[in-house]
Amino acid sequence: MMKSSKLVMGRYVEASSWVHRLDPRAKLVAMLLFLATVISAHSIVELSTISVIALLILVSSGIPLSRYGRASKPLWPLMFFMFLFYALFEQGGSVWFEIGSFHVSSEGVLLGLSAVWRMLLLVCFTSILTFTTTPIELNLGLEAVLKPLKLIGVSPQQWTMMITIALRFIPTIFEEADRILKAQASRGADINDLKLAAKGKMLLTLLVPIIVGAFRRAEDLVQAMESRGYVLDRARTSLRMLKWRRVDSLFLIGFGVMLVFTFVM
Amino acid sequence: MFADLSFHIEQGQWVTIVGPNGSGKSTLTKLMNGLLAPQSGTIQIGGVTLDSHTVSDIRGLVGYLFQNPDNQFIAATVQDDMAFGMENRCLPRAEMQQRIDQVSVELGIQDWLHRHPSSLSGGQKQRVALAGLLVLDPEVMIWDEATSMLDEQARRECMTHIRQLRAGRGFTIVSVTHDAEEIMASDRVLVVKGGQLAADLSPMELFAREELMEECRLRPPFAVELSLELRRRGIEMDICRDEEELVNALWPSCPVKN
Repeated sequence: MMKSSKLVMGRYVEASSWVHRLDPRAKLVAMLLFLATVISAHSIVELSTISVIALLILVSSGIPLSRYGRASKPLWPLMFFMFLFYALFEQGGSVWFEIGSFHVSSEGVLLGLSAVWRMLLLVCFTSILTFTTTPIELNLGLEAVLKPLKLIGVSPQQWTMMITIALRFIPTIFEEADRILKAQASRGADINDLKLAAKGKMLLTLLVPIIVGAFRRAEDLVQAMESRGYVLDRARTSLRMLKWRRVDSLFLIGFGVMLVFTFVM
Repeated sequence: MFADLSFHIEQGQWVTIVGPNGSGKSTLTKLMNGLLAPQSGTIQIGGVTLDSHTVSDIRGLVGYLFQNPDNQFIAATVQDDMAFGMENRCLPRAEMQQRIDQVSVELGIQDWLHRHPSSLSGGQKQRVALAGLLVLDPEVMIWDEATSMLDEQARRECMTHIRQLRAGRGFTIVSVTHDAEEIMASDRVLVVKGGQLAADLSPMELFAREELMEECRLRPPFAVELSLELRRRGIEMDICRDEEELVNALWPSCPVKN
């Protein structure tokens, strides 16, 4: 049950900061600009400046910094290997020491550090998007931002409808899984008593009823949607409206300026 | 599936469709709002023949309440789900908001508007589904075993809402059900069997036809069953619809103790 209630909220962290109140479209586009900025930043000075700005925004979001740190945790091994590869294989500058046939040089260590730094910056900062925006808002923003894709024949409405349905049904499917696990436990197959390999097998037997259930659900859902007048790709209005305010423009301009600077320098 | 099946439902009538399992009750209702298309024959709703051109207009007239409350909840909050049908009809935002406010008060769900469906009970979800139809202001309501997955109390609440709404708005109801009280509340019963219309009668007439009741695996409401049984044992009395009538009918025939 805990699991499903957590999922309902996605990664959204409740707080009332100016970042929370920003238009999701502004946040989405700003993230893209930030991505480009971080990639095109090369010098230590640039990276430091970006970091300071990013840190200021993170702090002002009203969410503890440790939360952002934790968001990068799954990528720590990747970062470690990235550093290792740069340090061991990148040659240049003065050689600090040798391990077997590997030469660890100042250049390599520096490059490795800056790669890790960039990755950390990206992961922590882009978490701000999902931390400060509810899934529903994010979805609306996504639909608006993806609108230009219509020109090349992709339908953003279909994508966002899929996301809407996923947001709606993921908790329900988890509940169903929970129920099936309990049903199996009540017949003597308690997943908590099993060894790892058996646990895996058990999860497989769980998948079948869940997938079958999901298909049945999908069929019902299609009929419910159709009978309430849903027609694929036909224009529809939306109850929720995004409000673009001046602070959104300023936010976006700020990121635009940052990108231009790193490009020029 | 069906052969030689024809009937007409008056505006404002409450019609129940009953029949054995697999007799095509749901298929029949799904034909009525174009979820399924007939291979032959015609369907008219409000004088308009149902075909691929008129199907979206007709779906605007016909609200369909499904059996499983979980699988007809589309959006991630109650309010968004209520808006879904209106969004599809491109209603302006102000009107959507106004209708949501009105209907949510009418059904007493105004406090749940921002909740996720997984935090609602089955009965609550079904009430939200009903709200999602009412905001579209339908003229016909199709009710496909919509209370069968609810507990007794939720089912009763649902029925009360439907009665009140019908009194207030006067829509036509077509319901598929196995529930005796729901049958009793309706004006007319259509019995579907083997792809044909086996009978077209009033609820009380149906309850009195034992062989039909047996075939459709139905049981009359307690009061009706008891009065039928008493009549069978030679006690002269009318068939009673509820316990109050039953008490009134039985009281005079009780021997007075001195």
